[in-house]
Amino acid sequence: MPEAQLSNDGKAPFPPRFQRPGWLSTALFALFLGFFLWSLAGAGMSIRELVNGLPNIATIAGEMFPPSTDRAGPIMAAILVTFQMALVGTVIGVILSIPMALLAGRNTSPHPLVRHVARSIISFLRTVPDLAWALFFVVSVGLGPFAGTLTIIVDTIGFCGRFFAEAMEEVDPGPSEALDSIGTSPLDRIAVVQIPGALPSMINTSLFSLEKAVRSSVVLGLVGAGGIGAELAASMEMFRYDQAAYIILMIFILVYAVEHLSSRLRERLMHQSQ
Amino acid sequence: MTSLASPLLQQPVFSEPSTVSSLQVQGLTKRFQGTTAPVFRNVCFNIYKGQSVALIGANGAGKSTLLRCCVRLIEPDEGNILLSGETLSSKRGRELKRARNRVGFVFQKHCLVPRLSALTNVLHGNLAHRSGPRNWSQCWARQADRDRALHYLDLVGLADLWHKRCDQLSGGQAQRVAIARALMQEPSILFADEPTASLDPKSGQVIMELFARLSRAQNLTLFFVSHHVDHALHYADRIIGLRDSELQLDAASGTENTVSLRGFYA
Ligand SMILES: Nc1ncnc2c1ncn2[C@@H]1O[C@H](COP(=O)(O)OP(=O)(O)OP(=O)(O)O)[C@@H](O)[C@H]1O
Ligand SMILES: [Mg+2]
Repeated sequence: MPEAQLSNDGKAPFPPRFQRPGWLSTALFALFLGFFLWSLAGAGMSIRELVNGLPNIATIAGEMFPPSTDRAGPIMAAILVTFQMALVGTVIGVILSIPMALLAGRNTSPHPLVRHVARSIISFLRTVPDLAWALFFVVSVGLGPFAGTLTIIVDTIGFCGRFFAEAMEEVDPGPSEALDSIGTSPLDRIAVVQIPGALPSMINTSLFSLEKAVRSSVVLGLVGAGGIGAELAASMEMFRYDQAAYIILMIFILVYAVEHLSSRLRERLMHQSQ
Repeated sequence: MTSLASPLLQQPVFSEPSTVSSLQVQGLTKRFQGTTAPVFRNVCFNIYKGQSVALIGANGAGKSTLLRCCVRLIEPDEGNILLSGETLSSKRGRELKRARNRVGFVFQKHCLVPRLSALTNVLHGNLAHRSGPRNWSQCWARQADRDRALHYLDLVGLADLWHKRCDQLSGGQAQRVAIARALMQEPSILFADEPTASLDPKSGQVIMELFARLSRAQNLTLFFVSHHVDHALHYADRIIGLRDSELQLDAASGTENTVSLRGFYA
């Protein structure tokens, strides 16, 4: 056995393939397993109810076909509004994200305290779920697309603010140092080094943000914040599953088209920046 | 590019020995955090206005660190720096910036903004004196500034590449753009960290000639790091050398030769 001889010739013992896990990781794993089993009950997982529900699912699915086009006009209008909410919300959100990101970035913030506050605001905007924002805005500005657009603006700032700040932090510090060495003002430095350096990543993030906004603007209508969601909820409540199917199909086409366009655009921009 | 006037080079040449101090370094010591031995300790020297001084030393001797400490891009631990007679150590914020405006810096790694054109990068030299959007990009710069930027690109032999993005330039071309940017600033003292390291012998010589000429014509003080013994001997009035964390050489370049400097390149 030449292999065995090889390992015997070396002074160092052959390393084992697996390390024996320590008692701490074993205990942690057992703890996790126990919690997961308990959670199965908590999450209401039940095979019996699933089996009992199967006929219902089949009936609804059957009633969905063929999808009905009798409200095609209003539905198309609602789809358009949904997209418009997403677009306007994203563009305004992206514009507002830039100053937020500048305040939150390590190498762009005027003061650590400002940076801390800006970061906290951005995290807060991001961690509160969009439906909660939508409910809040519906109460404050009333039902309709404006509440939805505001929600998307806030959501976009939470998302883009963070990633823009990170993109600017990752810009090569060399040119920055070069401009610092000749006493350039911070604003000039940001304009000529940080922004151009972070631009490809910022465009990328903005496109992702638009995709995200389109997806979330679909559901915002469920709480009355405008767009196609309201139509979907209405047809489900009126048991018009064939209409609901048509709406879902339209939503699919919208989301797919936006994602497709945005990835095409992203590809072109990536090639350009090489 | 002969149509461009080159006012700098048409001035009468004068090189009387100056007694005005341009850079004074007194007892400078720098120790990086987490290391025991200092990079250099108690470094003292004095560069007069219009003088050209070469700094030599082996890799890792602390040359780049010393240069950066001179404008406080790295804070020295001890010691005092005077730029044109003004103490730099106590300055902060706006005052420090104003003191730096007159200092040109060419880095070992060229440090251009990669996505912007060569001309725009040269124009950024202007930001030392003038702030604002008109100096952010050549697209909306003043015509006079564009002319000047193009003139400096021409001086380093790259006028026809003005539109090229800097990440598409070769290493040597990028270095020359960085030199043009430093000249655009019209500094009174120029620090250059191995300005010719990535240049071919011919371009390296052209750049050193250019520095020497500017030094004479404009009374520009030049403090440069070089691994080329002959550049140090030929283009510097004086050579200082770092070895074993100390300034172990400070001599007029006329008194040194390739053999006497060998210990600093080991
Ligand atoms: N930021 C830093 N933190 C810790 N140590 C550093 C740092 N920068 C440089 N050093 C160390 O300080 C020493 C001097 O570095 P420096 O870059 O000044 O050398 P140099 O003389 O310019 O060398 P070269 O000829 O290779 O350019 C080196 O040993 C380096 O490892
Ligand atoms: Mg160096």
